[in-house]
Amino acid sequence: MLRNYEVLEHTADIGIRVKASSLEGLFKNAGLAIADISTEKLKIINPEKHKIVVTQKADNLEELFVNWLNELLSVSAAEGLIFKDIKINQVNEQLVDAVITGEHISNYKTNIEIKAATYHRLKVGKTGSLWQAEVIFDV
Amino acid sequence: MSEPKMQLEKIDDYRWRIPKSYKPGMLVPGLIYASEKLLESIFQDKALEQVANVAFLPGIVNNSLAMPDIHWGYGFPIGGVAATDIDDGGVISPGGVGFDINCGVRLLKTNLAQEDINDKLQDLIYRLFSDVPAGVGSSGNIRVGVKEEKEILIKGARWAVEKGFGTEDDLECTEENGQMPGADPQAVSERAFERGKSQSGTLGSGNHFLEVQVIDQLYDLEACAALGLNLGQVMVMIHSGSRGFGYQICEDYSRKMVENLAKYKINVPDRQLACAPVKSSDGQAYLGAMRAAANYAWANRQCLMHLTRAAFEKIFNLSWQKLGMFLIYDVAHNIAKIEKHTVNGQEKTLCVHRKGATRAFGPDHAQIPERYRKIGQPVIIPGDMGRNSYLLTGTDKAMQDTFGSTCHGAGRLKSRTAALRSVSSDILLKELKSKGIIVKASGRNTLAEEAPLAYKDVNQVVDVVANAGIGKRVCRMRPLGVIKG
Repeated sequence: MLRNYEVLEHTADIGIRVKASSLEGLFKNAGLAIADISTEKLKIINPEKHKIVVTQKADNLEELFVNWLNELLSVSAAEGLIFKDIKINQVNEQLVDAVITGEHISNYKTNIEIKAATYHRLKVGKTGSLWQAEVIFDV
Repeated sequence: MSEPKMQLEKIDDYRWRIPKSYKPGMLVPGLIYASEKLLESIFQDKALEQVANVAFLPGIVNNSLAMPDIHWGYGFPIGGVAATDIDDGGVISPGGVGFDINCGVRLLKTNLAQEDINDKLQDLIYRLFSDVPAGVGSSGNIRVGVKEEKEILIKGARWAVEKGFGTEDDLECTEENGQMPGADPQAVSERAFERGKSQSGTLGSGNHFLEVQVIDQLYDLEACAALGLNLGQVMVMIHSGSRGFGYQICEDYSRKMVENLAKYKINVPDRQLACAPVKSSDGQAYLGAMRAAANYAWANRQCLMHLTRAAFEKIFNLSWQKLGMFLIYDVAHNIAKIEKHTVNGQEKTLCVHRKGATRAFGPDHAQIPERYRKIGQPVIIPGDMGRNSYLLTGTDKAMQDTFGSTCHGAGRLKSRTAALRSVSSDILLKELKSKGIIVKASGRNTLAEEAPLAYKDVNQVVDVVANAGIGKRVCRMRPLGVIKG
């Protein structure tokens, strides 16, 4: 699969830059990058899939973006699921509502543990017709 | 285009100042402990800018400090120390502790010499790798229910000892006796419980490790005698933290404090420095939750030590007591603590953030175990898997100059991606093997990402703290076997 994000250099952690033609696409691509960075698929041991509704709110777009990524990381760790399918129902500057479909973690090998998305050097915005975000994960 | 290099004022060969005038809003200067050589690598990333940013924290006293293992973090630099006066609006910042609350390290001795284990080293490392759960999201063999998890948050390492996973002696040799008072399970979210419940007794990934080491140099013969340490003696070092439980607490409270910055009229140059006055309800809630995570981490390291002792018992057919596997000490290096220190001749109650820094209390301090009062608090400095680690002791000078703090490790030099580009895991494995070091890692890229070339030389880092007087060398170890998460 072609990567829909770039990795940014950071001494201790991992940063990513994501681009998309819509805000929905930006949130989706960033969410999918988490699984891509941290896991690789092995064989399917547990074929069950779990759909989870995620709703996050914030005062502004940047904080919403971090809250969204942290919610995905948190649900993933708490439920033992890897999210490879994300459907954004609604997103604006202060709210994101999505359905994420998770596969059981036993189908994957986890290569790196992402602890959280940080606010450090966080950028989310639109240039011309393109949405772009940069975020640093603590790993 | 590269940014202009920050101008530092040289104080002496090991200390450099970022003047308060560097950035409007800095309340105190930045003070960096480094040699000229280490400074070159420190300039390669944005850590110094972060030292300046930390100086904005309301209530900060003396200096925003950076240890010689400093590198670029998020918000705070890794290797940063900042103390705020809690009676003068001083704040607490979850970013000043980090996601892995009470990430720390413990060192235990054995009565084995290197020649006693040479034939068994491979079996031992494989046994440790199989019996001590490592790696991302790994589940521990020591399972606990929600009710018990709450007990862990209050009791910390004492919970593990009551379960039979250690002794009272272990608790005495752990910072805070492995049980930080003031933990508040009510301040912990349900999600944090969910994230933490399966991970007790696991090492974690990345730089978390378990090493079998041998002492290759003695420096302070009096302290070595007091600690029962000799050249050629086999030691074990365990590095781990509070796992997903701590990450969730940091996330919950960072978010809350970002939202409440305006409420407290606080301006910080980076949202990851979001904070609240220690005495506010948000500050108190975070402190209670952070202490709960710290206790979780101490219980975790106590469990990991228990599993390590059991693995040694299986390989050597002797009890851990007969193998002399006694704990030297356990230190936290990601934590905030309320401590009394003298500031401008007056005793103050401070909130000391140590983010990638170690407490290093000097001799006679009431908060260190009786048995160590004469030599000072043991300070454990892990290096990378190919070079050395150190045991130091705290000093009076650290009490005066750095709120009783010193460095915490080698400090990263290269990013993970740069390390992956520079070395292959296979070649590294062979190189380490040729040096007599056996390595087992659970993550595919962990080995290359954690390669020695990704880190500063810990010998240079320790030289600085020793020469600056904020840590005293006791002995040096080199690795024989390494398990990486």
